Amino acid sequence: MLPLWLLSLIVPDPHLDLRQEARFRKRDLFYSGALFLLPLVCSSPRLHYVMVLAGINAILALGLSLFLGYTGQISLGHAAFFGTGAYTTAILTTRWGSPPLAAFWASAAVAAALAYLVGRPILKLKGYFLALATLGFGEIFLVVVREAHALTGGVIGIFGIPLFSLAGFSFDTYLKQYYLVWGVLVGLVLFSKNLIRSKIGRAFLAVAASEDAASTVGIEVAHIKLGAFVVGAAFAGFGGSLFACIMSTANPEAFGLNLSVLVIMMVILGGIGNLYGPIAAAIFLTWLLDILGAYQEYSMPIYALILILLLITFPDGIGTRLNIRLIYLISYWGRRKRRERVDL
Amino acid sequence: MSFLSVEEIAKSYDGVLALSRVSLEVRRGTIKGLIGPNGAGKTTLFHLISGIERPSSGKIYFKGTDITYMEPHEISLLGVGRTFQTLQVWGNMTVVENVMAGMHTRLKGGFLSCGLWFPWVRRMEKEALEEAKGILEFLGLLGRWKWPASQLSFGEQRILELGRSLAMKPELILLDEPAAGLTVAEVRQLTERISQLREEGITVFIVEHHMGMVMEIADEIAVLDNGELIAAGRPDAVSRNPKVIEAYLKGARADA
Repeated sequence: MLPLWLLSLIVPDPHLDLRQEARFRKRDLFYSGALFLLPLVCSSPRLHYVMVLAGINAILALGLSLFLGYTGQISLGHAAFFGTGAYTTAILTTRWGSPPLAAFWASAAVAAALAYLVGRPILKLKGYFLALATLGFGEIFLVVVREAHALTGGVIGIFGIPLFSLAGFSFDTYLKQYYLVWGVLVGLVLFSKNLIRSKIGRAFLAVAASEDAASTVGIEVAHIKLGAFVVGAAFAGFGGSLFACIMSTANPEAFGLNLSVLVIMMVILGGIGNLYGPIAAAIFLTWLLDILGAYQEYSMPIYALILILLLITFPDGIGTRLNIRLIYLISYWGRRKRRERVDL
Repeated sequence: MSFLSVEEIAKSYDGVLALSRVSLEVRRGTIKGLIGPNGAGKTTLFHLISGIERPSSGKIYFKGTDITYMEPHEISLLGVGRTFQTLQVWGNMTVVENVMAGMHTRLKGGFLSCGLWFPWVRRMEKEALEEAKGILEFLGLLGRWKWPASQLSFGEQRILELGRSLAMKPELILLDEPAAGLTVAEVRQLTERISQLREEGITVFIVEHHMGMVMEIADEIAVLDNGELIAAGRPDAVSRNPKVIEAYLKGARADA
């Protein structure tokens, strides 16, 4: 029974795969294989490091994609949940000597609990008001973190967070961390895919399309919005925990509005209502920011210009277009192969 | 105890009266038509019954339960489904997903069980899919079950919206101008489907401008004009009522 269930997580029933992005296709194998082989083919630690950061950003983007991309709600405070995850791990491991794995799960639980408490009142708001409320929440989080010296270390933060380890195996190189982060991401993608192809995913989309119509078929709109918010926050909590373990530090500078906006950019650039797009956008933007870092004061204008050009070129997100392009190339290659066989 | 009972319902928007102390009843297993010129307050009454808006005064009872101030999802849980005057098909889903979304309350499972795709979630989804296909077959849309809903024709989207409400297994269904924008053949088909609903024991409360259709299928008709109930009764009696004729002529003159 258990192996069958595990298999159904990875290879879903084709009859039930009603949503394109929730289907298991050869493309998924291609992506997974490419990600697995990438660090083995390119052994540069720098590549591994940037891809670790990209993976953490992708976890954040995936979580927000459920809330923003599928449920159609805006959050400008997503970085606060990332910070909550990072600080939970930092405090549990450095102060209480908790093992990183326990801190990892606790981080997601604390971020989810905070999202539940915050979400209950503010998710009654819509549109601009919700954006402002989440923005305010993000700023309050930063103030609390800066002021609660005894717990969070204030503006300096917490140092000396132990590296992630699992049953004595320490993730002490960027290569190992790469597999850790992307492994977690694959698990979260599977979870998200399953959500999307279930009644919860349909409720997300219904709420995004029309709250009134959704409520008249029995969907409790407030519950669905809150659920999407909490799941997104839990993902961010996982990301924050990994970030803290990998960087060995947690300080408020990393969890500000800039990060929230960056994650929103990843979701929008990746494509609304798309799971792989935000991940592709997270990889792209993380690399772009890393490369542009060399241009110092010109980096932000160049970054902004590239983003504007991309959004003009791909108004529905790079995820959708890239998928279409990839499907076209694969089908073209397949047709050519068949033709060659016929010619023979 | 009547099935649906609207008692002295009034609704005003910033002092403008949309409904003025309207009282009416819908009997179980019947088709009740609600007609009236544009702006008479028909859709407002449907919004109040389905909980999307709150009345200024009055009470609404469904199967003896006071639903006046209930949330829309609570009312739908009691067995009230509806369609909208402005098409509310979810174009971001496939045709069959739209219908399956209507089964939301009947399907068990929360965020965790769905995300982990427990075996019973999978089993339930499979059953829901088969049931949704059955509804689409009844409505003549099975051939397009995997299409994005936005790619259906306007008429087909209206039918799909009805299918989504039927997926809730409602006891009462409120149809707000279901024939608007349909071709003659589609109206005929819809008329047959609605009559079949009555045979299956579903009570229908329908707002419609397509008079031929309402007169043909309705057991009783209520007429609203300027937010007031001006007539109610059997279709033939209502169609001869001077107040009704005057209201429609007035509407026609205003349109001209």
